[in-house]
Amino acid sequence: MSLAASIARRAGRRALSSVPALFGVIVFTFLLMRVLPGDPAVFFASGPNAGQAEIQMIREQMGLDKPIPQQLLLYLKDIATGNLGRSMNTGQPVVTDLINRLPASLELTFTALLFALSLALPLGILAALRPNSLIDHGVRFLCSLGVCVPTFVSGLLLIYAFYYILGIAPDPTGRLDVFAAQPPVVSGFILIDAALAGEWESWRAAASQLVLPAATMALFVLAPLARMTRAAMLAVMTSDFVRTGEALGLSRRRVVLVYALRNALLPVITIMGIVFSTMLGANVLVEKVFSWPGVASYALDALLTSDYAPVQGFVLLMAFIFVLVNLTIDVLYGLADPRVSIE
Amino acid sequence: MKLNRRHLLAGTAAVATAPYLGGRAEAQTRAETLRYVTGAAVNTLDPTMPGSTREAFGVSVNVYDRLVSFGRKQRDGNWVFDIDNIRGEIAEKVDISPDGMTFTFHIRKNAKFHDGTPVTAADVKWSYDRAVSARSLAAAQIGTGSWTKPEQFTIVDTHTVVGKIDKPDRLALPNLCTLYAIVFNSTLVKKHVTPQDPWGQAWTKDNTAGSGAYTVESFRPGEQVILRRNDAWTGGVDGKPAPFRRIICQTIPEAATRASLIEKGDADLSIDLQPSDIDTLVARGRVKAISTPQFNAFSMIAFNTRMPPFDNKKVRQAIAAALPYDSLFKAGLFERGAKLYGGTWSGTPTDASFPQPMPYKHDVAKAKALLTEAGFPNGFDTFFAFNLGSAAFAEPIAALVKEALAAINIRVEIQKLPDAQISTMVTERKLPFFIETSIAWLPSTDYFFRTFLYGPQRWNYSGWNDQRIADIAEKARFETDKAKYDAACKEMIAIMAEETPIVMLWQPNQDAVMPKNIDGYTYGYHRQVDFRDMKRI
Repeated sequence: MSLAASIARRAGRRALSSVPALFGVIVFTFLLMRVLPGDPAVFFASGPNAGQAEIQMIREQMGLDKPIPQQLLLYLKDIATGNLGRSMNTGQPVVTDLINRLPASLELTFTALLFALSLALPLGILAALRPNSLIDHGVRFLCSLGVCVPTFVSGLLLIYAFYYILGIAPDPTGRLDVFAAQPPVVSGFILIDAALAGEWESWRAAASQLVLPAATMALFVLAPLARMTRAAMLAVMTSDFVRTGEALGLSRRRVVLVYALRNALLPVITIMGIVFSTMLGANVLVEKVFSWPGVASYALDALLTSDYAPVQGFVLLMAFIFVLVNLTIDVLYGLADPRVSIE
Repeated sequence: MKLNRRHLLAGTAAVATAPYLGGRAEAQTRAETLRYVTGAAVNTLDPTMPGSTREAFGVSVNVYDRLVSFGRKQRDGNWVFDIDNIRGEIAEKVDISPDGMTFTFHIRKNAKFHDGTPVTAADVKWSYDRAVSARSLAAAQIGTGSWTKPEQFTIVDTHTVVGKIDKPDRLALPNLCTLYAIVFNSTLVKKHVTPQDPWGQAWTKDNTAGSGAYTVESFRPGEQVILRRNDAWTGGVDGKPAPFRRIICQTIPEAATRASLIEKGDADLSIDLQPSDIDTLVARGRVKAISTPQFNAFSMIAFNTRMPPFDNKKVRQAIAAALPYDSLFKAGLFERGAKLYGGTWSGTPTDASFPQPMPYKHDVAKAKALLTEAGFPNGFDTFFAFNLGSAAFAEPIAALVKEALAAINIRVEIQKLPDAQISTMVTERKLPFFIETSIAWLPSTDYFFRTFLYGPQRWNYSGWNDQRIADIAEKARFETDKAKYDAACKEMIAIMAEETPIVMLWQPNQDAVMPKNIDGYTYGYHRQVDFRDMKRI
């Protein structure tokens, strides 16, 4: 059986087995939101003479006047037809909001992950090659620093240094300078859209907006990636095949980068998947500090006001992405180490 | 030649748009744009939609016109709205009958909607019918001005509309100045009505049909709204278009970021920075702050008058005497506001306006005595709640309240609650006492009492229902004799001071921070920015 076929079969089985989990997530979030104290209808009854009549009006508008089992059935029916309800906070359908905001979060997360990996892998390898050396301690220090400093602190510090004092970063306000031309939306990823449209000025503007928030997030996830790389490399470097390789007189570079690294990558890939999913949902603070119009800050705003539909939609989206990421990770396992077959 | 990113971008944008503008020389420049940054977000273009945010109100003021509008006046050196000075916006003239019950509005002949069609009496009639009949926020508000049914509005001719009320209501005309009484292009909206939605509310949420000073160029809910000047606008005081060609109204959640943007000159205006930052910002000399006490708002500690032991007047009075007002004012607000405590009168106030400083003072001995009289010589246990969203100022206050009440043996636990949860608990009357800030659009004493100090609505925080207030306020509303009205107001204020359902603390400042070359800011009843007044000098 070819590799591709085996991967496809595995992916298909995984996708199928995730359906009950997704369903569980839907029902659980639905019930959880309704158990939480706080009545959204009361909160949104903001009119100058908000009385029972207005609260009732909003309750009906949000469909909260019906019994909960009926609400759940209606919700499930809506989901089946691709309707996730309407957000009270933005006044838009949740699907539209998520479609608009998910690319922003993804673009940021991918860039941050790229930053983090391009820094964590070399650092982890260097640290593993010279354990307990000055380099190792330096890497440990950098990682501890990245984890200890909360993202909103490092974010604000970066803004203060690069925008406020030095003036080399653009104003930290979202994905594109407000005065720059917005490229036509194709994928929602501004970097891709601008490149497709050939608007390189917009591309540059968008890329420069990305640097600081992505660096903030990368700093935060540097530790798990670098530490895991170091640990895995340490284990692999002492194994028999590395010794054999060295004994056979293979170059150091070839031993480390080809034989050792590839075998050490498995746990790093696992961590990468977890880090990615966490970043996507947990980068609320980065999104807030940099006014990034992403899904996480959207969900937080909704949660604070007990706006049910967006929170439910967000959790469903996250569950879905988590399933996808796990699937991708499994596929990557197969590529990194063909001996692995997770059924 | 120095070439920075912004010039380059502006240049590229100009080159890119030039073909479409037919080579128009006046390209959009930064100087003609006002960039307004705020922590809140616009969620609808129709301010009457239930759940509209305050930012949405602000945008609508600039996009839609009303028949009439508040003028402005100087108050301690700052411009503020003036409820007693009403000017025409779409109307060029309003005739009020001698009995104060019939209003004849003469529509400007040159008033045009954004699509170029003239504003007619039919549009006004349709818009007002919508305001009183549609399921929206408008009906409840303009009902406080005796506007309740479509029959009250009649068309006389294309440019004349008459509104009639049953009793002379002092708030009838002011209510038509509020942003709920906007005039829609009825022909345009009617194209989008459905049998389920006879007033086109689904469409107006994301689209506009107004005649105001600005049109909406782009609307990204929760992120930003860009407004473009309507050059044909005639509703201004001088009949000229607004000074700024373009307004960018952008949501920046982090207050520190907003402050840096303003200071760097990248943004032009913000009204919701941290009070603690304002002095430092101004001291650094690159920006100016226009600080106006929000004279139609007030912060208070509200007691739940329906929950023991706060149903006991003496307990409420005891707490009012135990609070260290000056420390609260310093810790919570950095003294950026106007005091509503330490009034020098007792019994009946000398002034009929409201809110005004109430005669509460920090007096621990008196507090102890009152608490003993109330039957709690050993105090009691309770909890004090505040809103997570206002933690920045409420948290230090809560700590001080806890400490001050410990001195009279009341043991207080502090609860910090998320927005939706605290609103629900207030409405269900489950909190013993809490801190809150609220606002009335129309700063008229009887209106304050009707909104905040009796009745079933959410804003009656203390759940206080004193029949005396109900009787006096309902009568005062229709009182045309100023002396009698003032007497009634003073009586209500005296009753409230005695009963202490809420303790008034202060009116927080609205701190509008802007670079020094921005001018014209006026404090509005809606606590938003009226971009039509703003200009670069």
